[in-house]
Amino acid sequence: MALPAKLTPEKLYRTCNPQEFSFETTAELDGHVNATGQERAIDAITFSMGIRHDGFNLFALGPNGTGKQSSIMHFLADIAPNAPTPSDWCYVNNFENPRKPKALKLPAGKGSSLSRDMEHLVEALFTVIPAAFSSEEYQAQEKDIRETFQEQQGESIGELEKKAVENNIALIRTPAGFAFAPMKNGEVVKPEEFMLLKQEERDAIDEEITTLKTAMQSILAQIPKWQRETQEKIKELNRNIASFAVKPLIAELRNSYESLQEVTTYLDALENDVIENFDKFLEKESDQRELFPGMAPDRFLQGGSSFNRYRVNVIVDNSKSEGAPVVYEDKPACYNLVGDIEHISQMGTLVTDFTLIKQGALHRANGGYLLIDARRLLMEPLAYEALKKALRTRHIRIESLAQLYSLVSTVSLEPEPIPLDVKVILLGERSLYYLLTVYDPDFTELFKVAADFEDELPVDNAGKLFYAYIISSIAKKDGLRHFDRGAVARVVEHGCRISGDSTKLTAHLQSICDLVHEAEYYATSEKREHVEARDVQHAIDAKTVRASRIREKIREATLKNAILIDTASEKIGQINGLAIYSPGGQSFGHPGRITARVRLGKGEVIDIEREVEMGGPIHSKGVMILSGFLGARFGINQPLSLTASLVFEQSYSGVEGDSASSTELYALLSAISGAPIGQWFAVTGSVNQFGEVQAIGGVNEKIEGFFDLCQARGLSGKQGVLIPASNVENLMLRSDVIEAVRNGLFAVFPVTHVDEGIEILTGIPAGELDSSGNYPPDSINGMAVARLGEMAEKLKQFSESSSEDEE
Amino acid sequence: MKSNLIRHIAVALDCSPHSIASLAAAAELARWMHADLRGIFVEDINLLRMAELPCSHEIRIYTAEAEKMELLPLERSLKRQAREAESALQRIAEELMVEHSFRVYRGLVPAEVILAAHEADLLVLGRSGRSPSCRKGLGSTARKALAEGKRPLLLMRTGFTAKEWPVLVLYDGSKGSQQALATALDLAQPGITLNILILGETPEEALVMEQELSSTITLPDTVIEYHHLPLHDGKTLARYIRLADSGLLVLSDRMKLPVETVHNLINEIDYPVLLV
Repeated sequence: MALPAKLTPEKLYRTCNPQEFSFETTAELDGHVNATGQERAIDAITFSMGIRHDGFNLFALGPNGTGKQSSIMHFLADIAPNAPTPSDWCYVNNFENPRKPKALKLPAGKGSSLSRDMEHLVEALFTVIPAAFSSEEYQAQEKDIRETFQEQQGESIGELEKKAVENNIALIRTPAGFAFAPMKNGEVVKPEEFMLLKQEERDAIDEEITTLKTAMQSILAQIPKWQRETQEKIKELNRNIASFAVKPLIAELRNSYESLQEVTTYLDALENDVIENFDKFLEKESDQRELFPGMAPDRFLQGGSSFNRYRVNVIVDNSKSEGAPVVYEDKPACYNLVGDIEHISQMGTLVTDFTLIKQGALHRANGGYLLIDARRLLMEPLAYEALKKALRTRHIRIESLAQLYSLVSTVSLEPEPIPLDVKVILLGERSLYYLLTVYDPDFTELFKVAADFEDELPVDNAGKLFYAYIISSIAKKDGLRHFDRGAVARVVEHGCRISGDSTKLTAHLQSICDLVHEAEYYATSEKREHVEARDVQHAIDAKTVRASRIREKIREATLKNAILIDTASEKIGQINGLAIYSPGGQSFGHPGRITARVRLGKGEVIDIEREVEMGGPIHSKGVMILSGFLGARFGINQPLSLTASLVFEQSYSGVEGDSASSTELYALLSAISGAPIGQWFAVTGSVNQFGEVQAIGGVNEKIEGFFDLCQARGLSGKQGVLIPASNVENLMLRSDVIEAVRNGLFAVFPVTHVDEGIEILTGIPAGELDSSGNYPPDSINGMAVARLGEMAEKLKQFSESSSEDEE
Repeated sequence: MKSNLIRHIAVALDCSPHSIASLAAAAELARWMHADLRGIFVEDINLLRMAELPCSHEIRIYTAEAEKMELLPLERSLKRQAREAESALQRIAEELMVEHSFRVYRGLVPAEVILAAHEADLLVLGRSGRSPSCRKGLGSTARKALAEGKRPLLLMRTGFTAKEWPVLVLYDGSKGSQQALATALDLAQPGITLNILILGETPEEALVMEQELSSTITLPDTVIEYHHLPLHDGKTLARYIRLADSGLLVLSDRMKLPVETVHNLINEIDYPVLLV
């Protein structure tokens, strides 16, 4: 079998040639970014935004930082200004039922003008109504009515009094009413004198008094009726005077809004209300001033004397808007989405009115587009349900959460729902999208379109240029130094490194943005006119150093042999695997020792990690695959009379993943065959039951991790790493690694099959079956078969002797 | 020209709206003139006698039902009214820091009030008291005070206060009107408007009187306005006063106008009147 050649330096890194760019610096670019490489997502966005049917809202899915929001914003920036500007919405008092404020729809800009007009109207009413009611004409009429009542009452009682006096009877006011008594010389007859009168005289007086009493009772019975009539007359007079004063003002307003049926209907109701409550405008001016800051809703609720009741609460004001609104709600709490009804405390009681209705993001975005981060939405209690309800019913219904959950028990409102016409765009990770799809049946009804953003872009001219435009736009937006083309090329290379694939660029634009800012910082420190490739490199290195504490600690422990990693000798059943650590988002690789020991047994491979529950399921699966491979290769003609144990030495925190399964297999083959493995190698790659080596992740970090240790101990020229051949495309190694390879001090071997790998590791060919079905005896496989044969024999002998002993 | 002769002010109290206005005005004047305030409450002997009569029944205003009057409940009721009157007096006097006293009398109300106010320099009364017919004119006590010549006499009514009120003085050059003007000037608090209605036989005479007055009256912080009216009959005067609507009317019944005319005028107009 031909062994794979060491990889040449060119295979270890895909360079981006600055000369491929036609510009000198990014200053020459216009800073406008197209969503390159996201055609599928853009198509979905175009479709969703174009279709005006229910439920075709959008979920933009993809990892954070991939520019979902900016891509959508750019898209909307093109289409939203050309869409019609939505209407204004106002809440006004419902004079018939103040608990259910009315919603008014007005053309854009008319809401604030109606609000101003209403404030002016109220100001005018404060002048006009008092003037009308202080007019001599009114005073005289009112006085006439009251005096008529007084006269009516006075005359009736006066006549009775006169009649009484004619009969020497006095009508006297008592503390609680009236009384009649016989009179003599202008005074009431003394009781003793009265008793001296003859019986007939007393009877006559009695009779007279009884008659008068009856007459008085009948007059008193009339008084409430007269009072009612008087009140009615005064009320009618007031209504006429108020109406005369108010009508011209409201008629003027009605003319201004005659084309708006809802407003004119409201003005009719308002006119009636003002006329009914004219007396509130007669209060002192100081009271009026108190009212406008919006601090007297209690009076409104208690019976309607506040002037808040005539205000217009402009919920949506599009007077300064052009086109459809694009709203991004950063805190999508329920009250921020559908609005809220605020309360104020008055005398220890919470009160509210329609002026305290607060708009939500749905109101602002109505007629346009609303962007929400899906995770934040789901984290806000009831917000997702409220959003779905609004989308399903196509109405924004403001409900107080506190009321719904009986957290407060006070007067609240039921504002008239406002019709909703909005495109909602949720931005979120893929996992969220898939979870919602599975668990929420409403979700697929309401968010029918998914814009799946790519994590990676192809490294073609368009991709590279996209990076250049991104850098240009960041520089222009944030006022940074521009990048020369060398620096752009270096950013492109780093984009490949982040993507973990030399043929792809990362679409995680947040990382690129961070790198741009950091590189610019170093260019500024060096007082360079433009950011250069070395500044980009400086930023990359600095970031690595900033996050290197744990890596350095591990390496230090290894160099001190606290962690045992052999990079020089040869050992049987021992090999260097490569592990990835990812603390705090920064990944690095480091070798770990894997050992395998064999003994007589029943053909099982014991994964010690799994036995102690430190191995994850994927790792366990990898180990079981090894059993399959060993069984197929060596257990056809004889039983596998061994038990092998595998362990990651000095592993204290668990192992997951199958990227070490080929490594474990090499250790097993070494242990079974007795062929020592060169410890100057480290190995990564998973393996299948046929011994084919499969791709793994983090190949660059793993190679660099082993390289760093070898370099610290001194590169011998023998050291190298075995990687799956399918990972060669992912290689974007550091320049020092490439330099060492170029100088023959380090090597990277692409391996496709374990037979290649074991030969590189041991220097002994794996061996192929000959025509008689045997492996060459000096090959790894041959030695393994021989060893297994010996073990089987020993086991057989042991079994036989045990049986004889038992007999 | 300030005489400041009022040291004791008597006020008749019967808990009627006019009497409450009288109390407020009297207290305000007492404060302004540093006088003491004497509250007078009279238990009406007629009522008490009536309660002892076998034929007397009280007809309740709000139910129109008739109930036999009893002496004890009536006395209790009168005492309660007296207590209310006293506490109202006490409250306002303490608020304005005015020296005050209160006495309860029993007898015929008009006579007792006039008698009790004998030593006072000013008697303040409601234009009408708790009259049965809610009449517009003067009540019996006011009529008696007017007739018996108790001067100065202030007849108050609801809707007016002594604080910052405008004053209208009738002046015809007579001694009585000079005294009325002097009293009005005594009452003139800073910032008020003092209207002097000069009743001249001819416009020239009125002008002369105005010139004389303007040369003698110097009252800082008081706006003095002069008005002329040539006619002397009561009806024209009453019409003028209503039109002027200038609050307290100060006049004398010892003017060139006949006493009956003055008394009829007081009876007819519905404004507070200070008769000097």
